[in-house]
Amino acid sequence: MQGAAVAVTAVLPVLLAGCLGPLPQPLVGLNQRLEAAGPARGPSLAGDWLALIVSQGGRDRVQLVDLQRQQPVPLPGLERPDAQPLSVAVDGRGERLALVRQLEGRTELVLYRRNLMALQPVPLQPPGVPRRVALRADGRELAVEVSRQGQWQVDLIAVP
Amino acid sequence: MQLLAVALLALLLSGCGSWGWGRRSAGPVGWGSADRQDPALSGNGRVLASVVRRDGRDTVLLQEQPSGTVLPLRHLQRQQPHRSPSLSWNGRYLALLVQEGPDRRVVIEDRATGRLHRLPLPGGLVPNSLSLAPDGRRLAIASEGEGRSRVQLYDLTALLEPDLPAGLPVRGTPGAPP
Repeated sequence: MQGAAVAVTAVLPVLLAGCLGPLPQPLVGLNQRLEAAGPARGPSLAGDWLALIVSQGGRDRVQLVDLQRQQPVPLPGLERPDAQPLSVAVDGRGERLALVRQLEGRTELVLYRRNLMALQPVPLQPPGVPRRVALRADGRELAVEVSRQGQWQVDLIAVP
Repeated sequence: MQLLAVALLALLLSGCGSWGWGRRSAGPVGWGSADRQDPALSGNGRVLASVVRRDGRDTVLLQEQPSGTVLPLRHLQRQQPHRSPSLSWNGRYLALLVQEGPDRRVVIEDRATGRLHRLPLPGGLVPNSLSLAPDGRRLAIASEGEGRSRVQLYDLTALLEPDLPAGLPVRGTPGAPP
């Protein structure tokens, strides 16, 4: 009887694994580094790049992580201490980041080009309040959720 | 000289206002409320996912671009509210959050095979948003649990075939066989 119980216990995980199929595997090393960086939200994954919003020292900031090197990369010209990032998206080369942020009482959509270290405002026409942004993996187009007169809309904007 | 050129280009970009930005609306929703939220584009830009209110429930809507034609989803007519859709390169995979009873779950619909993958999370974590890598090899999940928010990455290579730029078009997408 005891032998049967042992046999069932041994076979059960195999049977369950067969029923469930392959499972996603957590990337343990990367996850530990992300955990150590602080509370985080709003991930955007493309190619070997992860953009996310991390809380550090009581304020939220955009972080871009090179997944090959498992290290954040600097984003000179992107951060302002008085800006509050709301949503971020990265392209597959890690070159372009689209960002919705609150600054000086208004919410704006901007595009950051890492090779130029330059931030470019993306005007909304007609005007509206942006909230969430997504970027095509090739970086050629972004999709942004915009509030206009109490209604949520999605604008598709080609990136020059 | 090179630095000067970069500085000039940056200056031009910052000053060019709306010049060069081609824009269009994602088009009418066609279902009840016109609200549309949570946009996501496939890597090649041919498929747009968004969340719209249908019969009072937030439901994912998949449309080819630029025509706006609605693309069918096999498994996602229920389990609302749907949140945080994310697409692979050709739009083969759609990852999103669904509601199963009291639990919010991560699922991926494979539009090529019709299969629905359910991704279990460690106990106590409630997913808030996600992002699928365009090639389908990794998934980032933002969740709340144990008093803090966190982002964790998962390797999907044992679960999904890669969806690469040179991949075959998925039935129901532009360029695919009928």
